[in-house]
Amino acid sequence: MSSSSTDATLVDVVMPQMGVSVAEGTVAEWAKEPGDWVDADETICVISTDKIDTDLPAPASGRLTEIEIVAGETVPVGTVLARIDTGGKPGEAHAAEDVGPPEPRSEAAAAAKASVQPEEKASGVRPQASGNGQGAKRFSPVVMRMAAEHDIDLSAIEGTGRGGRVTKKDVVAYLDEGGEAAAPLHIESPYRAEPEPPDARRLTPDAPEPPAPEAPSTLSRMRRSIGQHMKRSLETAATCTTWTEADMFRIEAARERLSLTALPLVARCAIAALREHPQLNAWLEGERYTRHDAVHLGIAVSLGDEGLIVPVIHDAHELSAEGLARRIKDLARRARAGELTPDEVRGGTFTITNPGQHGSIMATPVINQPQVAILDLEAVVKRPVVIDDAIAIRPMTIFGLSWDHRALDGVLAAQFLASLRRHVESWDGT
Amino acid sequence: MATETARSGETEHLIRDDRVALLRYMLLMRGIEERAMMLYRQGKVPGSFYDGFGQEAVSAGAAFAMGPKDRLCVLHRDLAAHLVRGVTPARIFGQYMGRAGGVTAGRDGNVHFGDWRLGCVGMVSMLPDMMLVATGMAMAFKLRHEQRCALTWFGDGSTSRGDFHEAMNWAGVQKLPVVFVLENNQFAYSTPLEAQFAVDPVHRAEGYGFPGWSVDGNDVEAVFEATREARERALVGEGPTLIACETMRMHGHAAHDDMKYVDKTRLEEWRRKDPIERQERVLEGLGVDVAAVREGVAREIEAGVEEALAMPMPDPETATEGVFCEGEANVLGDGQAPWSEVQS
Amino acid sequence: MPTMTYLQAITDGLRSEMRADERVFCMGEDIGVFGGAFKVTDGFIDEFGPDRVMDTPLAESGIVGTAVGAAVVGMRPVCEMQFSDFISCGFDQLVNVAGKMHYRQGLAVPITVRLPTGGGFSGGPFHSQNPEAWFMQSPGIKIVAPATAEDAKGLLISAIRDPNPVLFCEHKFLYRRVKGEVEEGANATPMRARIARDGDTLVVITYGAMVHTALEATAELEGVRVLDLRSLVPLDEEAILESVRACSKVVIVDEANELCAAGAQVAALVAERGFEDLDGPVVRVATPNVPIPFSPPLEQAVLPSVDRVKEACVELVEY
Repeated sequence: MSSSSTDATLVDVVMPQMGVSVAEGTVAEWAKEPGDWVDADETICVISTDKIDTDLPAPASGRLTEIEIVAGETVPVGTVLARIDTGGKPGEAHAAEDVGPPEPRSEAAAAAKASVQPEEKASGVRPQASGNGQGAKRFSPVVMRMAAEHDIDLSAIEGTGRGGRVTKKDVVAYLDEGGEAAAPLHIESPYRAEPEPPDARRLTPDAPEPPAPEAPSTLSRMRRSIGQHMKRSLETAATCTTWTEADMFRIEAARERLSLTALPLVARCAIAALREHPQLNAWLEGERYTRHDAVHLGIAVSLGDEGLIVPVIHDAHELSAEGLARRIKDLARRARAGELTPDEVRGGTFTITNPGQHGSIMATPVINQPQVAILDLEAVVKRPVVIDDAIAIRPMTIFGLSWDHRALDGVLAAQFLASLRRHVESWDGT
Repeated sequence: MATETARSGETEHLIRDDRVALLRYMLLMRGIEERAMMLYRQGKVPGSFYDGFGQEAVSAGAAFAMGPKDRLCVLHRDLAAHLVRGVTPARIFGQYMGRAGGVTAGRDGNVHFGDWRLGCVGMVSMLPDMMLVATGMAMAFKLRHEQRCALTWFGDGSTSRGDFHEAMNWAGVQKLPVVFVLENNQFAYSTPLEAQFAVDPVHRAEGYGFPGWSVDGNDVEAVFEATREARERALVGEGPTLIACETMRMHGHAAHDDMKYVDKTRLEEWRRKDPIERQERVLEGLGVDVAAVREGVAREIEAGVEEALAMPMPDPETATEGVFCEGEANVLGDGQAPWSEVQS
Repeated sequence: MPTMTYLQAITDGLRSEMRADERVFCMGEDIGVFGGAFKVTDGFIDEFGPDRVMDTPLAESGIVGTAVGAAVVGMRPVCEMQFSDFISCGFDQLVNVAGKMHYRQGLAVPITVRLPTGGGFSGGPFHSQNPEAWFMQSPGIKIVAPATAEDAKGLLISAIRDPNPVLFCEHKFLYRRVKGEVEEGANATPMRARIARDGDTLVVITYGAMVHTALEATAELEGVRVLDLRSLVPLDEEAILESVRACSKVVIVDEANELCAAGAQVAALVAERGFEDLDGPVVRVATPNVPIPFSPPLEQAVLPSVDRVKEACVELVEY
């Protein structure tokens, strides 16, 4: 496969391909020396491959200017072995070497550089979406699936794909930065759905108000219901709140490893603490105090401006952290979609509320009656702490427990929190 | 290796029972095919229906000369070969009707079958592909120095295709123990011989390096004798033989062909040479109760039909199974060999 | 572990099986005395004799057909088409006799057909084809296509041991250009895909010589996975879908002509069963539907080049 450079007078002598599978060859011996005149087709050297030995005919007439590859050397097919200067005439003293920059060695390479790429563009990848950009944004199937699974509002994500497209990478990054897997949990106290007493309805003003831009509006039924429940709790229970700090180092590590949020992990620890202090897993209805063995865990879920609701994970003590995470996700999603069944908002024995991702560090939650305690999780913040008389940076959080002094004393509350803290700080995956 | 012509019907290699058996197999073949044609017309046989009416001697005679370890590629007008090897009438009717109990369990139709346990390879429609398969089997026998042969039938039309030549050439150059039985029934569908080739294929054998013999295809004992000799040649390492059996396709190419293109006079001439009638006369001359043979065959056939009609259709759920062999590869087994000289 | 070329690995695997199993024998044109057009069976006739290293007549239909016959009586023929292109002369025997036999008749046909495939060296239209897709469409035929020396040996051994007809697509361009470590002994490679390079940004799915093209094209791109199919029938659907789940962006490369190539089936599979994992369109890079031309600039323009594959990947990553 000898080739010629079209402009310069130097012609390359290259290692030919003797057979479709041959990749290299050896120069057995040179028949000419630098300075020698060589005629086109005259044998210039002998080459050997593992298939065959052959004479290599010179590709052009001229003076052999330089030998690049000495006898005995093995080189890949296409390697320049020597050069012939076609500018001279036989008998002339050979001219200076290296006339001008080397042209591409083979016509193939030259052609490939210059060639128009074939019609078949690799891409059909020009996104159509850039055309119908106004209004509806388009999301790829995997992005849609992940958004559904993790309950993400895609409009909240900055797209880095072509034309501002939200890519899978963008979603993954968003989740990693702890957009919580579930949407924000509520800030205020829990709400327990119960059928409205018939007379309550009559108390509601029925007459439509004349529309006026600045006229005061009436609270929604849900809002009024929540309000009533909160007020009753604060009026009947002897509500106290105790707090403790906890080092979330292990929980944070487990979070990452298991791709969960902190809530199910802490819930798991809370359940363990409740088993150790079952007095907090109880109901107080008037004078009647019922301690429960099973933990039916309520998780407060915000419904945005409309209010909040507390779906219950029945028999939560039988679930692992992953199991709790799945249940929480499912209940939260259905709560927001209005798909909870009555059984799913009844029968809780303990409640956890977790509004922490907005940055607040402590709160005084209202007890979700007839339960006797409620646990509040706030933000996890990196702080400098003292460990073994040295300063360390740890992810810290404050657990708040509101409890009913009619049913228990502060010591018990503090013990519960101590147990919870112990479980959290010694988390090993169980 | 000049072409040898018709062998005589005389042979000292057949005892009386063998000669009766030859008739029986021909009667069975014809009886099954006639019965199956009725079933076809009754809508119980799907697809097309092919028979070898009038050609029974070619398959009965040749198959009868095989030993249990020999291997056969059987074609669509060679039903007697399957019967000789041991396939029961019930399974054949089941095969025609596409039942689960048919030889291919409904996977292929009509005579596209071969019971591998009995040493037969089922044909494909592309003719004469099976000539190469038979050549390959013979090749293996030779490589392993085994005393056995392979045999295949093929028609006059198929000799025009490349595989005929590749097989003949291959068998000839490697001197393989294969017997090529050319069933020249005068027509390939509607194409007569004069439109098929310029030279009678029997002469081609010489061109490939081995003998070609012409045989009266309607004389079952002549067909037997020629095949027996060809087999001997194969077993002693003398290579292949082409046996060109001259016969006539008395029915259409298939049930849907009314064969208007065949001259009626010609058909009548061949009818007078019917192979079954000829063998019956031979046996009557030996004092055999031919009527009893016929009756026995008729009973066997009816029993077979009854058994087949009771077979269920294949389960549609199984339609995609069995494309690949999972597990150990099975190998052709030995067939029945009723000829007294090779009885197993 | 010895290092050897792709071609030497084929020789090694073949020799290993012939030594281990006396039923195995080779048949093909010029493979005995001459040692094979590519020297795969060089020296074999001295070790195994002319019966087991058979120089056949020039008859591809004959080679495949007689191999079927030998196989059904218990042998393990390894036939060779001198160039994969010539399998067209044996198409009927392969597709209608060998492929359909087990389904129809319950009879196994354990033949191996070695097909030197592929182009890239001015072989021209009749010595450069990749005919895999013709046979993917034919039920009953398995097809394997190694890209590495180790798999060349391992897949050949698997093919020979398989009780079904198997086409072994050995890529001519890789014969002496690819070297690798090959384990001693007779190790069969399963007919499944392998990850040639791991990653999760995008996956290039391909086989044969294009595996090396893909690896080179994406060497400098971050996180690009290359999935080497290794087997076309059976097609490792699980591995393909797992890669789609992990990477969500797919580029499929075929050296064969684009229309209905193996990659088209992969694309259909991904579109149907990997839909919810996709973060971009399924992209194909393939040779256009032309006979493979002879002159180097023409040939290089049609075969998927490193640049063309790289460009497709870059675009899709940015999508």
